[in-house]
Amino acid sequence: MRSVFQRISIIPVLVGLLVIVSTTTSNAQEPRIQMSHLDHLAAKASETVDVNIDERLVQIAIKVFSDKDPDEAQIKKLVAGLKGIYVKSFEFDADNQFNAADVDSIRNQLREPAWSRLVNVRSKRDSNVEVYISLSGANINGLTVITSDARELTIVNIVGPVDLEKLAHLEGSLGIPDLGIEITKPKTKNEDK
Amino acid sequence: MNDEYLWDKSGEPDPEIQQLEQVLGSLRYQPQPLELPDNVKPVRRNRYLPLLAIAATLALALLAGALWLRAKTDSKSGPHNAVITPATPSPVNPAEKKNEELPTREDNSRSTDQDRKVFAVNRQRRTKRSLPALSKTERAEALEAKKELIVALRLASEKLNLAQRKANGPATPGQIRNQHKIG
Repeated sequence: MRSVFQRISIIPVLVGLLVIVSTTTSNAQEPRIQMSHLDHLAAKASETVDVNIDERLVQIAIKVFSDKDPDEAQIKKLVAGLKGIYVKSFEFDADNQFNAADVDSIRNQLREPAWSRLVNVRSKRDSNVEVYISLSGANINGLTVITSDARELTIVNIVGPVDLEKLAHLEGSLGIPDLGIEITKPKTKNEDK
Repeated sequence: MNDEYLWDKSGEPDPEIQQLEQVLGSLRYQPQPLELPDNVKPVRRNRYLPLLAIAATLALALLAGALWLRAKTDSKSGPHNAVITPATPSPVNPAEKKNEELPTREDNSRSTDQDRKVFAVNRQRRTKRSLPALSKTERAEALEAKKELIVALRLASEKLNLAQRKANGPATPGQIRNQHKIG
Protein backbone atom coordinates (compact mmCIF):
# COMPACT_ATOMS: atom_id res chain seq x y z
CA MET A 1 0.00 0.00 0.00
CA ARG A 2 2.80 2.39 0.89
CA SER A 3 4.60 1.71 -2.36
CA VAL A 4 1.42 2.52 -4.30
CA PHE A 5 1.13 5.80 -2.43
CA GLN A 6 4.78 6.62 -3.11
CA ARG A 7 4.27 5.91 -6.79
CA ILE A 8 1.27 8.22 -6.89
CA SER A 9 3.03 11.04 -5.04
CA ILE A 10 5.91 11.00 -7.52
CA ILE A 11 3.59 12.19 -10.29
CA PRO A 12 3.12 15.77 -9.04
CA VAL A 13 6.83 16.03 -8.34
CA LEU A 14 7.55 14.99 -11.91
CA VAL A 15 4.92 17.40 -13.23
CA GLY A 16 6.43 20.19 -11.16
CA LEU A 17 9.92 19.43 -12.38
CA LEU A 18 8.71 19.32 -15.97
CA VAL A 19 7.06 22.71 -15.57
CA ILE A 20 10.15 24.25 -13.98
CA VAL A 21 12.41 22.86 -16.69
CA SER A 22 10.13 23.99 -19.53
CA THR A 23 9.75 27.47 -18.01
CA THR A 24 13.48 27.83 -17.49
CA THR A 25 14.22 26.64 -21.01
CA SER A 26 11.69 28.97 -22.61
CA ASN A 27 13.10 31.93 -20.66
CA ALA A 28 16.65 31.00 -21.49
CA GLN A 29 15.96 31.27 -25.20
CA GLU A 30 15.14 34.98 -25.04
CA PRO A 31 18.00 37.45 -24.61
CA ARG A 32 16.22 39.25 -21.82
CA ILE A 33 18.18 39.96 -18.69
CA GLN A 34 16.82 40.27 -15.18
CA MET A 35 17.30 43.71 -13.65
CA SER A 36 14.69 43.77 -10.90
CA HIS A 37 17.32 43.20 -8.22
CA LEU A 38 18.65 46.71 -8.93
CA ASP A 39 15.41 48.35 -7.80
CA HIS A 40 16.84 49.03 -4.36
CA LEU A 41 19.14 51.63 -5.97
CA ALA A 42 16.13 53.81 -6.77
CA ALA A 43 15.92 54.83 -3.13
CA LYS A 44 19.46 56.24 -3.27
CA ALA A 45 19.21 57.74 -6.74
CA SER A 46 18.40 61.35 -7.46
CA GLU A 47 17.01 60.41 -10.86
CA THR A 48 15.68 57.05 -11.95
CA VAL A 49 14.54 55.85 -15.34
CA ASP A 50 12.73 52.53 -15.37
CA VAL A 51 11.28 51.40 -18.67
CA ASN A 52 9.68 47.99 -19.19
CA ILE A 53 8.09 47.59 -22.58
CA ASP A 54 7.18 44.08 -23.64
CA GLU A 55 6.26 42.84 -27.10
CA ARG A 56 2.57 43.61 -26.65
CA LEU A 57 3.27 47.21 -25.74
CA VAL A 58 5.72 47.58 -28.61
CA GLN A 59 3.01 46.42 -31.01
CA ILE A 60 0.47 48.79 -29.48
CA ALA A 61 2.88 51.72 -29.58
CA ILE A 62 3.62 51.07 -33.25
CA LYS A 63 -0.02 51.82 -34.05
CA VAL A 64 0.30 55.44 -32.95
CA PHE A 65 3.56 56.17 -34.74
CA SER A 66 2.95 58.31 -37.78
CA ASP A 67 4.08 57.14 -41.20
CA LYS A 68 4.13 60.71 -42.47
CA ASP A 69 6.64 61.99 -39.95
CA PRO A 70 10.05 60.75 -41.16
CA ASP A 71 11.42 60.48 -37.60
CA GLU A 72 8.46 58.48 -36.39
CA ALA A 73 8.45 56.33 -39.50
CA GLN A 74 12.11 55.56 -38.87
CA ILE A 75 11.41 54.55 -35.28
CA LYS A 76 8.40 52.51 -36.31
CA LYS A 77 10.54 50.54 -38.72
CA LEU A 78 13.26 50.09 -36.13
CA VAL A 79 11.01 48.77 -33.35
CA ALA A 80 8.61 46.76 -35.53
CA GLY A 81 10.24 43.40 -34.80
CA LEU A 82 11.28 44.06 -31.22
CA LYS A 83 10.12 41.81 -28.40
CA GLY A 84 10.90 44.21 -25.63
CA ILE A 85 12.91 47.16 -24.39
CA TYR A 86 13.99 47.34 -20.78
CA VAL A 87 15.94 50.20 -19.28
CA LYS A 88 17.13 50.96 -15.79
CA SER A 89 19.10 54.10 -15.21
CA PHE A 90 20.12 55.60 -11.89
CA GLU A 91 21.82 58.92 -11.29
CA PHE A 92 23.19 59.68 -7.87
CA ASP A 93 24.14 62.89 -6.09
CA ALA A 94 27.06 61.23 -4.34
CA ASP A 95 29.81 58.88 -5.46
CA ASN A 96 29.80 55.09 -5.06
CA GLN A 97 26.14 54.55 -4.27
CA PHE A 98 26.19 51.22 -6.06
CA ASN A 99 28.80 48.50 -5.82
CA ALA A 100 30.57 46.19 -8.22
CA ALA A 101 28.27 43.33 -7.28
CA ASP A 102 25.31 45.24 -8.73
CA VAL A 103 27.04 45.49 -12.10
CA ASP A 104 28.40 41.95 -11.86
CA SER A 105 24.90 40.59 -11.35
CA ILE A 106 24.04 41.94 -14.80
CA ARG A 107 27.36 40.99 -16.35
CA ASN A 108 26.99 37.41 -15.12
CA GLN A 109 23.87 37.02 -17.23
CA LEU A 110 25.75 38.06 -20.35
CA ARG A 111 27.98 35.06 -20.75
CA GLU A 112 29.00 33.21 -23.88
CA PRO A 113 27.78 31.52 -25.99
CA ALA A 114 24.46 33.33 -25.71
CA TRP A 115 26.10 36.75 -25.55
CA SER A 116 29.18 38.27 -27.15
CA ARG A 117 30.87 41.35 -25.80
CA LEU A 118 31.25 43.84 -28.62
CA VAL A 119 32.74 46.80 -26.76
CA ASN A 120 34.39 47.06 -23.38
CA VAL A 121 35.82 50.39 -22.31
CA ARG A 122 37.14 50.71 -18.76
CA SER A 123 38.28 54.05 -17.44
CA LYS A 124 39.34 55.17 -13.99
CA ARG A 125 38.42 58.79 -14.67
CA ASP A 126 35.54 58.46 -17.08
CA SER A 127 32.60 56.10 -17.40
CA ASN A 128 32.86 52.39 -18.18
CA VAL A 129 30.93 51.17 -21.19
CA GLU A 130 30.15 47.62 -22.21
CA VAL A 131 28.09 46.55 -25.21
CA TYR A 132 26.90 42.97 -25.53
CA ILE A 133 25.00 41.42 -28.39
CA SER A 134 23.11 38.18 -28.69
CA LEU A 135 23.34 36.53 -32.08
CA SER A 136 20.92 34.23 -33.80
CA GLY A 137 22.88 32.97 -36.78
CA ALA A 138 24.22 36.10 -38.43
CA ASN A 139 21.50 38.36 -37.02
CA ILE A 140 21.55 40.31 -33.81
CA ASN A 141 18.54 39.34 -31.69
CA GLY A 142 19.47 41.09 -28.48
CA LEU A 143 21.46 44.05 -27.24
CA THR A 144 22.61 45.05 -23.79
CA VAL A 145 24.51 48.21 -22.94
CA ILE A 146 25.97 48.80 -19.49
CA THR A 147 27.37 52.21 -18.66
CA SER A 148 28.61 53.10 -15.23
CA ASP A 149 30.61 55.79 -13.54
CA ALA A 150 30.89 57.04 -9.99
CA ARG A 151 27.45 58.63 -10.07
CA GLU A 152 25.52 56.78 -12.74
CA LEU A 153 24.50 53.28 -13.64
CA THR A 154 22.51 52.59 -16.81
CA ILE A 155 21.48 49.27 -18.26
CA VAL A 156 19.68 49.03 -21.58
CA ASN A 157 18.36 45.66 -22.72
CA ILE A 158 16.71 45.31 -26.11
CA VAL A 159 15.14 41.97 -27.01
CA GLY A 160 14.59 41.15 -30.65
CA PRO A 161 16.27 41.98 -33.96
CA VAL A 162 18.19 45.22 -33.53
CA ASP A 163 19.76 47.33 -36.24
CA LEU A 164 22.66 48.93 -34.37
CA GLU A 165 23.34 51.44 -37.10
CA LYS A 166 19.76 52.67 -37.22
CA LEU A 167 19.54 52.73 -33.46
CA ALA A 168 22.67 54.82 -33.16
CA HIS A 169 21.41 57.14 -35.89
CA LEU A 170 18.34 57.96 -33.82
CA GLU A 171 20.55 60.53 -32.16
CA GLY A 172 19.62 63.73 -33.89
CA SER A 173 15.94 62.92 -34.02
CA LEU A 174 13.43 62.90 -31.16
CA GLY A 175 15.17 65.82 -29.52
CA ILE A 176 18.39 63.85 -29.09
CA PRO A 177 21.42 65.98 -29.89
CA ASP A 178 23.42 64.69 -32.83
CA LEU A 179 27.01 64.24 -31.76
CA GLY A 180 28.15 63.48 -35.30
CA ILE A 181 29.53 60.09 -34.49
CA GLU A 182 30.41 57.84 -37.34
CA ILE A 183 28.79 54.45 -36.96
CA THR A 184 30.52 51.45 -38.45
CA LYS A 185 28.92 48.10 -39.02
CA PRO A 186 30.20 45.35 -36.72
CA LYS A 187 32.37 42.86 -38.52
CA THR A 188 31.05 39.38 -38.97
CA LYS A 189 33.02 36.17 -39.24
CA ASN A 190 32.66 36.07 -43.02
CA GLU A 191 33.94 39.62 -43.40
CA ASP A 192 37.02 38.79 -41.38
CA LYS A 193 37.93 36.09 -43.82
CA MET B 1 -18.73 -51.56 -14.39
CA ASN B 2 -21.83 -49.55 -13.76
CA ASP B 3 -21.63 -46.10 -15.29
CA GLU B 4 -24.74 -44.94 -13.47
CA TYR B 5 -22.79 -44.84 -10.18
CA LEU B 6 -20.16 -42.63 -11.72
CA TRP B 7 -22.83 -40.39 -13.17
CA ASP B 8 -25.18 -39.79 -10.22
CA LYS B 9 -24.21 -42.42 -7.60
CA SER B 10 -27.25 -44.57 -8.49
CA GLY B 11 -26.96 -48.17 -9.36
CA GLU B 12 -24.42 -50.63 -8.14
CA PRO B 13 -21.20 -49.10 -6.75
CA ASP B 14 -17.80 -50.25 -7.93
CA PRO B 15 -15.61 -51.24 -4.96
CA GLU B 16 -12.52 -49.78 -6.60
CA ILE B 17 -14.22 -46.43 -7.04
CA GLN B 18 -15.49 -46.55 -3.48
CA GLN B 19 -11.94 -47.13 -2.28
CA LEU B 20 -10.71 -44.23 -4.31
CA GLU B 21 -13.49 -42.08 -2.89
CA GLN B 22 -12.37 -42.94 0.62
CA VAL B 23 -8.71 -42.17 -0.08
CA LEU B 24 -9.35 -38.88 -1.84
CA GLY B 25 -12.19 -37.88 0.50
CA SER B 26 -9.67 -36.91 3.17
CA LEU B 27 -8.49 -34.11 0.85
CA ARG B 28 -11.99 -32.73 0.44
CA TYR B 29 -12.45 -28.99 1.23
CA GLN B 30 -13.35 -28.40 4.84
CA PRO B 31 -14.32 -24.79 5.71
CA GLN B 32 -12.44 -23.39 8.73
CA PRO B 33 -11.45 -19.85 9.86
CA LEU B 34 -8.08 -18.43 8.72
CA GLU B 35 -5.51 -18.57 11.43
CA LEU B 36 -2.62 -16.15 11.05
CA PRO B 37 0.67 -16.71 12.83
CA ASP B 38 1.39 -14.38 15.74
CA ASN B 39 4.21 -12.50 14.03
CA VAL B 40 1.94 -11.40 11.16
CA LYS B 41 -0.32 -8.43 11.94
CA PRO B 42 -2.99 -7.46 9.48
CA VAL B 43 -2.62 -3.85 8.22
CA ARG B 44 -5.78 -1.82 8.38
CA ARG B 45 -6.43 -0.47 4.95
CA ASN B 46 -7.20 3.21 4.70
CA ARG B 47 -9.53 3.47 1.76
CA TYR B 48 -9.23 7.28 1.64
CA LEU B 49 -5.48 7.23 1.06
CA PRO B 50 -5.58 6.65 -2.73
CA LEU B 51 -8.29 9.30 -3.06
CA LEU B 52 -6.17 11.72 -1.08
CA ALA B 53 -3.18 10.97 -3.27
CA ILE B 54 -5.21 11.55 -6.43
CA ALA B 55 -6.61 14.80 -5.02
CA ALA B 56 -3.11 15.96 -4.06
CA THR B 57 -1.84 15.07 -7.53
CA LEU B 58 -4.61 17.04 -9.18
CA ALA B 59 -4.09 20.00 -6.86
CA LEU B 60 -0.36 20.07 -7.51
CA ALA B 61 -0.90 19.68 -11.25
CA LEU B 62 -3.31 22.63 -11.17
CA LEU B 63 -0.84 24.66 -9.13
CA ALA B 64 1.97 23.81 -11.50
CA GLY B 65 -0.23 24.72 -14.47
CA ALA B 66 -1.15 28.02 -12.86
CA LEU B 67 2.51 28.80 -12.16
CA TRP B 68 3.43 27.92 -15.71
CA LEU B 69 0.68 30.14 -17.09
CA ARG B 70 1.77 32.96 -14.83
CA ALA B 71 5.39 32.57 -15.87
CA LYS B 72 4.30 32.50 -19.50
CA THR B 73 2.13 35.60 -19.06
CA ASP B 74 4.89 37.43 -17.21
CA SER B 75 7.38 36.71 -19.95
CA LYS B 76 4.93 37.86 -22.64
CA SER B 77 3.25 40.79 -20.96
CA GLY B 78 5.22 41.40 -17.83
CA PRO B 79 5.17 44.54 -15.79
CA HIS B 80 5.63 47.55 -17.96
CA ASN B 81 6.07 50.96 -16.59
CA ALA B 82 8.32 53.85 -17.17
CA VAL B 83 9.00 55.92 -14.15
CA ILE B 84 11.36 58.83 -14.32
CA THR B 85 11.85 60.76 -11.17
CA PRO B 86 14.02 63.74 -12.01
CA ALA B 87 15.65 65.75 -9.27
CA THR B 88 15.32 68.85 -11.43
CA PRO B 89 12.70 69.45 -14.12
CA SER B 90 13.94 67.96 -17.35
CA PRO B 91 13.29 69.51 -20.79
CA VAL B 92 10.43 67.93 -22.69
CA ASN B 93 11.20 66.94 -26.24
CA PRO B 94 8.88 67.84 -29.14
CA ALA B 95 7.61 64.28 -29.60
CA GLU B 96 6.50 64.04 -25.99
CA LYS B 97 4.97 67.47 -26.12
CA LYS B 98 2.93 66.39 -29.11
CA ASN B 99 1.62 63.40 -27.14
CA GLU B 100 0.66 65.47 -24.14
CA GLU B 101 -1.53 67.72 -26.21
CA LEU B 102 -3.84 64.84 -26.98
CA PRO B 103 -6.69 64.70 -24.47
CA THR B 104 -7.04 61.33 -22.78
CA ARG B 105 -9.00 59.80 -19.95
CA GLU B 106 -5.79 59.36 -18.02
CA ASP B 107 -5.19 63.11 -17.61
CA ASN B 108 -6.41 63.25 -14.02
CA SER B 109 -4.33 60.35 -12.84
CA ARG B 110 -1.35 61.70 -14.73
CA SER B 111 -1.52 65.02 -12.94
CA THR B 112 -1.53 63.14 -9.63
CA ASP B 113 1.54 61.27 -10.79
CA GLN B 114 3.24 64.49 -11.73
CA ASP B 115 2.57 65.80 -8.22
CA ARG B 116 4.55 62.81 -6.99
CA LYS B 117 7.37 63.73 -9.40
CA VAL B 118 6.57 60.74 -11.55
CA PHE B 119 7.22 61.66 -15.13
CA ALA B 120 5.52 58.79 -16.90
CA VAL B 121 3.53 55.85 -15.64
CA ASN B 122 1.97 53.13 -17.70
CA ARG B 123 -0.46 50.90 -15.93
CA GLN B 124 -1.01 47.40 -17.25
CA ARG B 125 -4.32 46.91 -18.95
CA ARG B 126 -5.83 43.93 -20.68
CA THR B 127 -6.80 44.91 -24.20
CA LYS B 128 -7.43 43.04 -27.42
CA ARG B 129 -4.68 43.33 -29.98
CA SER B 130 -6.60 42.40 -33.04
CA LEU B 131 -8.92 45.39 -33.06
CA PRO B 132 -8.50 47.34 -36.27
CA ALA B 133 -9.31 50.72 -34.71
CA LEU B 134 -8.01 51.76 -31.32
CA SER B 135 -10.45 52.48 -28.57
CA LYS B 136 -9.90 55.46 -26.27
CA THR B 137 -8.28 53.30 -23.62
CA GLU B 138 -6.08 51.55 -26.13
CA ARG B 139 -5.06 54.82 -27.68
CA ALA B 140 -4.12 56.21 -24.28
CA GLU B 141 -2.14 53.06 -23.56
CA ALA B 142 -0.48 53.23 -26.96
CA LEU B 143 0.51 56.86 -26.41
CA GLU B 144 1.97 56.03 -23.02
CA ALA B 145 3.85 53.11 -24.55
CA LYS B 146 5.09 55.35 -27.35
CA LYS B 147 6.37 57.87 -24.84
CA GLU B 148 8.19 55.14 -22.92
CA LEU B 149 9.55 53.70 -26.12
CA ILE B 150 10.99 57.06 -27.12
CA VAL B 151 12.59 57.48 -23.70
CA ALA B 152 14.08 54.00 -23.94
CA LEU B 153 15.30 54.46 -27.50
CA ARG B 154 16.78 57.83 -26.66
CA LEU B 155 18.78 56.30 -23.84
CA ALA B 156 19.75 53.26 -25.91
CA SER B 157 20.92 55.43 -28.78
CA GLU B 158 22.79 57.77 -26.48
CA LYS B 159 24.58 54.96 -24.70
CA LEU B 160 25.34 53.14 -27.92
CA ASN B 161 26.91 56.29 -29.33
CA LEU B 162 28.83 56.80 -26.11
CA ALA B 163 30.22 53.29 -26.48
CA GLN B 164 31.08 53.96 -30.12
CA ARG B 165 32.73 57.26 -29.25
CA LYS B 166 34.75 55.72 -26.47
CA ALA B 167 35.76 52.73 -28.55
CA ASN B 168 36.88 54.89 -31.47
CA GLY B 169 38.08 58.00 -29.66
CA PRO B 170 41.54 58.75 -28.26
CA ALA B 171 42.39 56.80 -25.17
CA THR B 172 42.61 58.72 -21.94
CA PRO B 173 45.23 57.78 -19.35
CA GLY B 174 44.25 54.77 -17.34
CA GLN B 175 41.73 53.58 -19.93
CA ILE B 176 41.49 50.00 -21.12
CA ARG B 177 39.69 49.47 -24.41
CA ASN B 178 38.59 46.26 -26.00
CA GLN B 179 36.55 45.97 -29.13
CA HIS B 180 35.61 42.42 -29.94
CA LYS B 181 34.71 40.86 -33.21
CA ILE B 182 31.30 39.36 -33.52
CA GLY B 183 31.12 35.58 -33.66
